[in-house]
Amino acid sequence: MEETKYDFDVVRWFTIMAVVYLVVGTLVGVYIASELAWPALNMDLAELTFGRLRPLHTNAVIFAFGGCALFATSFYAVQRTGNTSLWSPKMAWFTFWGWNLIIVAAVITLPLGITQSKEYAELEWPIDLAIAVVWLSWGFNFIMTIAKRKTSHIYVANWFFMGMFVMITYLHVVNSLAIPVGLFKSYSIFSGVQDAMIQWWWGHNAVGFYLTAGFLGIMYYFVPKQANRPVFSYRLSVLHFWALMFGYVWLGAHHLQYTALPDWTGSLGAAVSLAMIIPSWGGAINGMMTLSGAWDKLRTDYILRFLIMSLAFYAMSTFEGPVMSSKTVNALSHYTDWTIGHVHSGALGWVAMVAAGALYHLVEKLWNTRMYSARLVNFHFWTSTIGTVVYITAMWVSGIMQGLMWRDYDEFGTLTYTFAESVAAMHPYYAMRAIGGMIFWLGGAIMLYNVIMTVRQASAQRSTATARA
Amino acid sequence: MNNLREYFHTNWAAMTLHDWIGLIITVAAFIGMVWIYARVFNPKNKERYESQRHIPFDEENTDSENEK
Repeated sequence: MEETKYDFDVVRWFTIMAVVYLVVGTLVGVYIASELAWPALNMDLAELTFGRLRPLHTNAVIFAFGGCALFATSFYAVQRTGNTSLWSPKMAWFTFWGWNLIIVAAVITLPLGITQSKEYAELEWPIDLAIAVVWLSWGFNFIMTIAKRKTSHIYVANWFFMGMFVMITYLHVVNSLAIPVGLFKSYSIFSGVQDAMIQWWWGHNAVGFYLTAGFLGIMYYFVPKQANRPVFSYRLSVLHFWALMFGYVWLGAHHLQYTALPDWTGSLGAAVSLAMIIPSWGGAINGMMTLSGAWDKLRTDYILRFLIMSLAFYAMSTFEGPVMSSKTVNALSHYTDWTIGHVHSGALGWVAMVAAGALYHLVEKLWNTRMYSARLVNFHFWTSTIGTVVYITAMWVSGIMQGLMWRDYDEFGTLTYTFAESVAAMHPYYAMRAIGGMIFWLGGAIMLYNVIMTVRQASAQRSTATARA
Repeated sequence: MNNLREYFHTNWAAMTLHDWIGLIITVAAFIGMVWIYARVFNPKNKERYESQRHIPFDEENTDSENEK
């Protein structure tokens, strides 16, 4: 058989940068969480306030960390499953530098208050255009690599990556349609409730297609590879894919219950959200059952622990989300910290942990070595798990308490608590959330140290081998 | 029964172009999902689908790239 020549250099750099951005993005998160508990940390500097740094945190973890993790894993998996090299390594490098420059632009503009004020789409129009170009360069290269594959079937992980590409392109372009009035200022072409609907159609699908479909692509390749067992059911994975693609686009309206949006739209969003529990749990069970008959591997394989624990969080947050979307629960949970807790059970427990497992797997394969310290991988696993649990528990308690305080009234129909009283009641939980975040961040910092030492160890091993030869 | 009829009553004459497009897409998506379920769970297709499980393990012999 003709030797396949893979292009892994760009994958290596995306891998390294993903770990760097994990540490940086969560550090900003810990800082702003601390600001909410101890507002003096604002230091009376506009650039350091929660409002300026919060979008920097979300952009850093979603697009910088998540993007680099997705590009690394997709470029790796598509080559391995297609038994071929990248269609264009030069275009892959364009994606790498372009994406990193966009991140630099975000780091400069967001603290300066240059924003479109659209959640998870804050960056101004010139950067939006750059995102579209760089994103298309990745997607085109990915699809062309699939086109030149040497295998007959397109493995399911690649379907998930392609689904993410198609939907995020569509969502990003439509949601970012704006009239520029200057280099750093633009206004959405949509207005009023239509703007809100488009925003949350994008907002929820950034979660559904970027943070879910893309990371399910990661799961369907890296869980079987790390477990050294084929996925439990390929048929279930096909159903998972199509149900996710058909279902997720309907959900955005559940973010706008009890607003000016027509009532039926929110009901539809909630109904489809509840229906989505079926494919989501099907996928989570499919991933976990891949270990069927080999559960003992979890005792010794710390990387596999990340991947399987992430599926537990995926199952939990894809149950919690639909429940929160129902009107009865939403009446209590909306605008409270419960939403923040829900988002982080998905972001920390599912996205970051499945990515960490995949990145550890990649580091071992790409540098052809074992991790510098397996104990540190295990330590990272426990800090991630404990940090996530502390964070989301604090937000559950604080969110439900907020909701109950805001709606409570006395026999005269007067609100029992002022808003300021509810803020004061949140303080212990905000402190607890910041501590949970710090524990999670510590794990990321340990991962970065472990990855750097592994790369150095691999370089040293190669030098020794070359000298012997 | 009357309540049900009232609940599901639709003023077809008032349907706009966007309503029709939405309706057709919704029904098409529903039929598409039914078709996918039927196809995936058809016992005749089981072997065809499940044989693809092994693709990640059918790769070439090396775990690291070859020298270019």
